[in-house]
Amino acid sequence: MVKLTVIARITDGLPLAEGMDTGLEEKELDFYKQQAKSLFKRLSHGQNQPSRMSVETGPYFFHYLIEGRVCYLTLCDRSYPKKLAFQYLEELQREFERLNHSQIETVARPYAFVKFDIFIQKTRKLYLDTRTQRNLSRLNDELYEVQQIMTRNIQEVLGVGDKLDRKLSFFSSSSSNSSSSIVSSLGFLTLFSSFAEVSQLSTRLTAESRIFSDKARDLNRQALIRKWAPVVIVLSVVLIFLFMRRSIWG
Amino acid sequence: MAPPAADFPPPQFFARPPLSNPPLDPTPPPPPPQQLYSRPPSSMLSTPPPPIPSKAPPFASPPPFAAPHQFQGLQGPPPSHPPPPPPQAPYFGGSPAYQQQQQQPLPPPSQGYFAGIAPPLPGVAAPPGHDIADEFESLSISSAPGTAADVKVEALPRPPPDSCDTFAQPAWSNCHPRYFELTTNAIPASHSLAARWHLPLGAVIHPLAEAPPEEQVPVVDFGTSGIVRCRRCRTYINPYDKFTDGGKYFRCAICNLLNDVPMDYVCALDEQGKRRDAMDRPELSQGSVDFVAPMEYMVRPPMPPVYFFLIDVSVAAVRSGILQIAADTIKSCLDKLPGYPRTQIGFLTFDSTLHFYSLKSSLTQPQMVVLAQVDDPFLPMPDDLLVNLSESRLVVEALLDSLPSIFANNENVESALGPALEATTSIMSEIGGKLLIFQSTLPSLGVGRLKLRGQEAHVYQTDREPALRVAEDSFYKQMAAKCSKLQIGVNVYAFSEKYTDVASLGTLAKYTGGQVCYYPGFHAAVDGEKLTYDLSRDLTRETAWEAVMRIRCGKGIKYSVFHGHFMLRSSDLLALPAVDCDKAFSVQFALEDTLLTSQLAYFQVALLYTSSSGERRIRVHTAAVPIVQELSVMYKEANIGAVVGVLSRLAVEKSLNDKLENARQYVHVKMVNALREYKNMYAVKHSLIGRIIFPESLKLLPLYVLALSKSLPLRGGFMDATPDERSAAGYQMMTMSRPSLLKLLYPALIRLDEYLLQGSRGGGVDSPPQLPLTAEVLDPRGAFVTSDGQRFVLWLGNVLQPEFVAAILGPQVAHSSDLRKVPVVEQDNDLSKRFHALLAKLRKQNRWCHQQCVVVRQGESGRELQLVHSNMVEDRGAGFPSYMEWMVQIHRQVQQKI
Repeated sequence: MVKLTVIARITDGLPLAEGMDTGLEEKELDFYKQQAKSLFKRLSHGQNQPSRMSVETGPYFFHYLIEGRVCYLTLCDRSYPKKLAFQYLEELQREFERLNHSQIETVARPYAFVKFDIFIQKTRKLYLDTRTQRNLSRLNDELYEVQQIMTRNIQEVLGVGDKLDRKLSFFSSSSSNSSSSIVSSLGFLTLFSSFAEVSQLSTRLTAESRIFSDKARDLNRQALIRKWAPVVIVLSVVLIFLFMRRSIWG
Repeated sequence: MAPPAADFPPPQFFARPPLSNPPLDPTPPPPPPQQLYSRPPSSMLSTPPPPIPSKAPPFASPPPFAAPHQFQGLQGPPPSHPPPPPPQAPYFGGSPAYQQQQQQPLPPPSQGYFAGIAPPLPGVAAPPGHDIADEFESLSISSAPGTAADVKVEALPRPPPDSCDTFAQPAWSNCHPRYFELTTNAIPASHSLAARWHLPLGAVIHPLAEAPPEEQVPVVDFGTSGIVRCRRCRTYINPYDKFTDGGKYFRCAICNLLNDVPMDYVCALDEQGKRRDAMDRPELSQGSVDFVAPMEYMVRPPMPPVYFFLIDVSVAAVRSGILQIAADTIKSCLDKLPGYPRTQIGFLTFDSTLHFYSLKSSLTQPQMVVLAQVDDPFLPMPDDLLVNLSESRLVVEALLDSLPSIFANNENVESALGPALEATTSIMSEIGGKLLIFQSTLPSLGVGRLKLRGQEAHVYQTDREPALRVAEDSFYKQMAAKCSKLQIGVNVYAFSEKYTDVASLGTLAKYTGGQVCYYPGFHAAVDGEKLTYDLSRDLTRETAWEAVMRIRCGKGIKYSVFHGHFMLRSSDLLALPAVDCDKAFSVQFALEDTLLTSQLAYFQVALLYTSSSGERRIRVHTAAVPIVQELSVMYKEANIGAVVGVLSRLAVEKSLNDKLENARQYVHVKMVNALREYKNMYAVKHSLIGRIIFPESLKLLPLYVLALSKSLPLRGGFMDATPDERSAAGYQMMTMSRPSLLKLLYPALIRLDEYLLQGSRGGGVDSPPQLPLTAEVLDPRGAFVTSDGQRFVLWLGNVLQPEFVAAILGPQVAHSSDLRKVPVVEQDNDLSKRFHALLAKLRKQNRWCHQQCVVVRQGESGRELQLVHSNMVEDRGAGFPSYMEWMVQIHRQVQQKI
């Protein structure tokens, strides 16, 4: 099921339109919106991004499609067919470009094409139920191939770890001398600091698990030895005994 | 009140005066010391001020407030010009001293900045009577009680015609007073001074007030770079921010912090320290601007306008024709609803059951689903209860067409408002919007059921009395809090003739920025026109969605209390789910412990909202006011409209937790204290026995306080108004703008027959003279109209010519004994046409509500008292004295020493 749909400009991450109602709790919604926002940020910085990608996040998937410097992004359930999600995005893209092609590059106001939400709403309803005849036939459409679309994890995409830490320091330094965006950078700070925490935690976890696996291997060896040592000793005693008897008596 | 513009070019663009003194005119003679009086401003007078005695040399008062160097050259003529005659026009709330300072040399510094009124030197004092006339209004009142006959009633001050609608010219780069108006245009410098100003120190704020087309608020777009704001106090850039260091930094007017100017906003300064592009940038030259909000000001995309109608269809609503009129009106407004094509609309009707309507665009007829279980309402279908209007237009029209006929034979008397509200909030929970409730009976089923109260006279004058004016059931307050959180603004339309508990219902509107419209005993033929107008105005006026408002004050000043319809989200953030151009608020300020040392105090009102067209905007109003050390200047600069605006809200709020008696007393004491303080300032110098004195600016204060005490929310006791009427009027008063409030308190009274007959004889009378509001002027041979901004009351004298009545009302109804249900429609004759032209003209001044015309005949028991005599504020009534006696009483109280 489609939970959230956002259309944004790639050049600066400016949101252009968004579907109005969603099936998410308020808190969850804020979290995923924030993720979508940072995703746009990454897309606007990055070079050579694949034009279609699925990004895994929690119980959901972000699917996005980049066409003509505009990113069409939707948040779906894990179980929602990828094929339908991308067809949905393509439908949005065709209509959006048809309506607003000339103005996309020039607008400065966020949500300048807010009127597009009517179309988003309408299209979303068509795609809500995967078992309608229309959607089933779309699913069976052999010509539409989604297999080669890459799937990655959100943490991977947002580049946790070193990159984030660097970003954090960048943000804190830039926010101290820029006066206009304290609030926004504060928002990012908390976001990024939470990511940084996660990355720190994961580094520590990896290190600890390495130690644990070493120890486990060691323990395994010891257990092996302990298990077989008596048998080996008895056997060797018997063999030595046999050997001795032969050499003494024989 | 406002001066003609030609006299007086508004000094819009002299926001930042030069720091050095410009050359002064060297010629004027040094001022004689005994003439240090400044004239009282003539702003409140429609007539020209009395001629100055020829002996009197030109005024020589130094600037009454603010350091001279601050305002030198504000609008002064080039020094080479001969000094112009002192203009009579008031400036900045009416201080002629501003103009004079340009022609006079600066006073010696020892005189201080604020020597506006200096004591006369012994031996050269002018005659006392002359002084008093020059300095303040005074009224001779015999101090002995009961012997007031020597005072002419006509001499008492009354508001001049049209004074309600006119505002003073904004000073400097201040926003227009229609948006933000302080009770006094002089902020006291210290606590002790503020304590001696006994009236409220505050302001009336009307953020979205309607402006004439040539004064629309300019829109400023900073693009993606973000709006320039102070980084500490978050004040928006305004004309009072001072740029320094070649334009690299700006000093915030509010908190005085030095901020960096963003790279792309830097501009060179001219020799006066002003930015060279100041004139091209509205945010640097004008007090009111609309900023386009960038991303950071949104938590979600701008919402579309949403209208949801919750309509009571019980038997009372159907019989009185409310349902029919409401449906017709909504249908006629569908094209005019703002925000096409995103506008959303939904309906829910209820009696003892809830009726949901699926308005899916693919249907041809709406589907109705009845939910009989009201204990725990749920939504029978997941969507299509709230639909996009442009898509489902035909279905919505079909519903509105059939709605009256569906319920035409409904006999259900119950009303399950509470459950209906719960269902509605869950339908609207995703987006929010405006919820219009049409309630015709007392809610009787499910949660939020209300019971009859306020019927016992003995409750009045006890501690249980104020409980009648607040919500009985906590359900309503909780529901209001929930609505505010979901961005739902509630407007309540109540209709019942019987008790509906408007106090409880109105709570919904009170906390969500809504309004309460009350039509007691609704009758379609008479009140239909008013409901149609009010509802279509509600649906089509400029509305700001999902708004929040904040006020920032300069150093040393803080806001203390807000009054109006809103919910406080944090200590200073007003949550307004839907606010429109007819909602005003008031705020009170308090001084912090520090002394105010600067010369100007700054205020900034910022309203962050989503316009109906789906743009997120910030409307910012900025004002600067001088800080003064002299009490007399505060009184001189007082603004009666704003004082009454704040006082009335205070009184209504007081009546919610105290007896009516105490609420009236509260205002009364404030006024008496203020007048006593004022008297004490002058009593030492002048013999004032038998005279009541008051500042020119506040001469109408006693009259308005008297009118306020006799107004519907505060009037009398049990007998004088029903609890519903009181509550509805109280809710209305809390949101009223200054012009409509003043009009309501002191209605206009016009003698109709003379005016109309004169006109038909060819005498070109453009506006009829206004009469004092006393029953004495009601001549039985005449016809009179009162206009209080809410309705017209046409009073017909007993011996009025029958032909006149027939011409106005039409021959059929002229003789009917019951005028209660007589609609006043235009007849095919000259008199009637002129009459309606007059009504139309008066209505045009007052667009926020439809003034319906009701007819009363002299001697009609009950109704005459209720409609006409209750408006006669100068007469005795409701336990309050007449205007004359009131003045005598005040005078006596002012004389008393505490």
